[in-house]
Amino acid sequence: MNLKDISTSVPKKDHSGKVSGQLAYISDVKVENMVYGVLVRSPIAYGKIKSIQLPNFPEGYEAVGAEQIPGPNVVKIIQEDQPIFANEWVNYIGEPILMLVGKELDILYRLLNEVKIEFDELQAIYTLDDAIQQKSAPGVTMASYEFGENLDVISTIEQGAHKIIEEEYSTGYQEHVYLEPQGMLGIYKDDEIVVQGSMQCLYYIKNALISALACGDDEVRVVQSPTGGGFGGKEEFPSMMACHVAVAANAVKKSVMLVFDRSEDMVVTTKRHPAKIKYRTAIDEEGNILSMCVDVFLDGGANAGLSSVVLQRALLNSAGVYKIPHFHAKGYVLKTNTVPNGAFRGFGAPQSFAGIESHIGHISKLSKLDPLDYKRKYLVKQGDPTITKGQFRDPILMEDMIEDLLNASDFKSKKGEFQRFNQQNLRYKKGIGTSLFLHGCGFTGSGERDHIKATVKLVKSRDDKVLLKISNSDMGQGIYTTLSKIVAQALDLPFDRVLYPDPDTKEVPDSGPTVASRTTMIVGKLLERAAKKLKAQWQPGVEQEVVENYVHREMIPWDEKTFTGDAYPAYSWGVNIVEVEVDTLTGNVKLEKVYANYEVGKVIDDRIMKGQIDGGLAQGLAYGYLEKMTSKEGRIQQKSISDYGPPTSMDVVSIESKVFDNPYADGPYGAKGAGELTLIGGAPAVQAAIEDALQTSFQQIPITPEVIIESL
Amino acid sequence: MAEKITAYRFDRLDQTLSQLNKENCSIIAGGTDVMVLHKSRRGVPPKIPNPVIFIDHLSELKRVYQNQKDLHIGACCTYSELLEDPLIPLPLKNAIKTIAAPAIRNRGTLGGNICNASPAGDTLPLLYVYNAKLLLRSVNGDRVVAISDFIQGVRRVGRQHNEILVEIILPSVLEEGSHVVFEKVGNRNADAIAKVGFAGLIRVNDSRVEDVRFAFGAVGPTMVRSVDIEKKLLGKPIPLADSDVAEVVAAFDKIIRPIDDQRSTAIYRKKVALNLLRYFLSSKQYQPN
Repeated sequence: MNLKDISTSVPKKDHSGKVSGQLAYISDVKVENMVYGVLVRSPIAYGKIKSIQLPNFPEGYEAVGAEQIPGPNVVKIIQEDQPIFANEWVNYIGEPILMLVGKELDILYRLLNEVKIEFDELQAIYTLDDAIQQKSAPGVTMASYEFGENLDVISTIEQGAHKIIEEEYSTGYQEHVYLEPQGMLGIYKDDEIVVQGSMQCLYYIKNALISALACGDDEVRVVQSPTGGGFGGKEEFPSMMACHVAVAANAVKKSVMLVFDRSEDMVVTTKRHPAKIKYRTAIDEEGNILSMCVDVFLDGGANAGLSSVVLQRALLNSAGVYKIPHFHAKGYVLKTNTVPNGAFRGFGAPQSFAGIESHIGHISKLSKLDPLDYKRKYLVKQGDPTITKGQFRDPILMEDMIEDLLNASDFKSKKGEFQRFNQQNLRYKKGIGTSLFLHGCGFTGSGERDHIKATVKLVKSRDDKVLLKISNSDMGQGIYTTLSKIVAQALDLPFDRVLYPDPDTKEVPDSGPTVASRTTMIVGKLLERAAKKLKAQWQPGVEQEVVENYVHREMIPWDEKTFTGDAYPAYSWGVNIVEVEVDTLTGNVKLEKVYANYEVGKVIDDRIMKGQIDGGLAQGLAYGYLEKMTSKEGRIQQKSISDYGPPTSMDVVSIESKVFDNPYADGPYGAKGAGELTLIGGAPAVQAAIEDALQTSFQQIPITPEVIIESL
Repeated sequence: MAEKITAYRFDRLDQTLSQLNKENCSIIAGGTDVMVLHKSRRGVPPKIPNPVIFIDHLSELKRVYQNQKDLHIGACCTYSELLEDPLIPLPLKNAIKTIAAPAIRNRGTLGGNICNASPAGDTLPLLYVYNAKLLLRSVNGDRVVAISDFIQGVRRVGRQHNEILVEIILPSVLEEGSHVVFEKVGNRNADAIAKVGFAGLIRVNDSRVEDVRFAFGAVGPTMVRSVDIEKKLLGKPIPLADSDVAEVVAAFDKIIRPIDDQRSTAIYRKKVALNLLRYFLSSKQYQPN
């Protein structure tokens, strides 16, 4: 491959299989000796199991539970608080207790209704507000961190301040709505259990299986099947399903298929953490910020899962893209008896950015200053310290990106035009809003060096084809194409001679999970280096193999205890401008125009990047005003896509976007992360636009029609 | 193994009616409601309690024609077909465009929307203000009922087991002079179930109200319409006085009693329903459409 510019688009590797509908997803797969599994789930939010009474099973049908787990009854994630099958306590509605297995689903569904479980039901914690009230009770706080300026110093500053502005901001659930619901197949073989399914993190699953099955490294194998969307929903959640099917396959000595339908998926799988964020900001007479304290509370749901890491990212982004003097932050993950919350594109950052963009906007309005001018005054510059005493060491193009977008959107004249429109129109009100944001690429702190330690392998076959041997999943984001392109370009090999087979832990080293906007930047760089090495030693017609290991960029060392140092090796940046029209009779919000500028180092494929922009922004905008999920006494209320309401093509307008070049030395061809960044600016920009239209302030997202009508 | 079900698909309406007279069947027109109603969990076919009888192909049920100033619409015309038909009034077309998405509109029928009798049925508010009449046929003959008498409650209609809804008649709809609006409030612009529906019709003669009707959807078990309240406005001068508008809004405030559910709140539904009514009544002038 010899592209003058690597960004030039090529057809996606998996294009024809997906477009023709030929590609087999996990629910299309049938293997010999296969039975189905269905889960008996807790009907109550919190309590102790007193007794379980099973129906008489027809031949070939049986129940699998905690007793059949060879290893500890724990889904290995971070903390050991998530049982594979709850056998003593249940902590949320929908928690798996048993799996029933057998040949026919309709018989399994009938048997499900005949399982009788008695519980001692206890008082559950249903809401984040309740958990905040009880946060010092044992077991409620699952993680907490605190860092920044000394509180005595802040207290002195506040005493001399002109005004103290306090705001409480809340964000709701978000559901991933991946097109393909979760599915996992455990294939029983004499000498190994193979787990195949829809997933982002092969080695997370493999490690969970080695623990659950108490077996050797070569007795389990994880294979990724084509994955129809992940968005973080297939980061840690599939580990539990993999344990279910593997334990069951091991127990019944048959292959076991577990696939959720949409409503089961919506009710029991992880969501984005609802958050409450409290701001306390001291300002002087001119409206300058003197100090700021931020308290972040995340609703963790019933299990810790990855919540502590989500909280870290929420805190690391709590000051947004701003250099705030005397900044202090603390945060908590609190337990509620609701479905566990987990990874979701942005991973804590969308909550923080929605909050800080809202708060800074409100401060500027109180001081009668233009929100965007005010934000630009505080915008971080190259060389500035981060809130954790790290450093923004690479060039920052935000000022150029903002200027460019103001011109593209004709921002200044729109403002006046909308004011005139709003004076004349009684029913509809137009508004325009902006958001400024960044995303730290890769794992937080020293995670890549200390925990992930990624390894990649390239194998050259005798017929001079090159195979990527890595554990990363293409879930629709296009890495089959982008990573193959990086290798083909570095080797100067035709694109179709570079192959990327579905990852299989028997074949591939651990190149890390497919998360945290790390794949292109970290794994891509390793592959680029491996390809260059292979090129140097290339021998036609000979089988060859090259391995590369992660090398850490020299930075200010990250200390998780003190929350100091460089939290990320690099940052990607973005600016969004959104125009809306609000119907004051119904509260409905219509997107009119969406403009977006991004900086991701270097784009590896223009069309794939455009896919990330359009999809990420649609998801981020919807998070701000459209998608609404609620829990009532521990029960998720929206069980269908139409009730939850993600945007359709009738809701999103075409997005005018541009990506700025700013090559990053430690990324392949200069590339940084892009997958999560594109979501983050959507909600704050749409909020600002709605506020501009209605000349009011909101302290929450989503700003649904119900919220708008109540405010009018 | 999936259980077998009995399904009928006759060539003609009379054969269909004679089978229905012998046996209680689940009637499938487009199937977009029946299939969802009887859906099983993943991997198991829908369980429909009765034999199924298909009527979607019967040409007797797919005609659209004019009879003097009345419009007759075959019950099994799909939404997509109606969008293409020059006789269908524009407000009805606009209402149809808010239903689901093209794939569903290719299957779903106007008759099905009525017989499903959902509190949130998209076309129903408009059919109520059109004073739609329904032609029902059985082996015993025809009868005509008003839509407001036919729909009795949530998914409950006054159809005998041996009857089929044959035509929807919109009386005098092809007369010029009425101003009609339709508003569907959903959580998004496609594939959404209405949170509030509103239809209003007004005919002005010599700057006075000659006829006025309004109906609300998704704010009660069935459409909310009140002829008594409408009567209060007859003969009033246009634009309506603030006090007249306020009186009508206050009257509906008393009879609209929506619920909280996973899609919205009672407070929102009521407020929006009244907002739309007030807006409709506060217009300075009404252009016939």
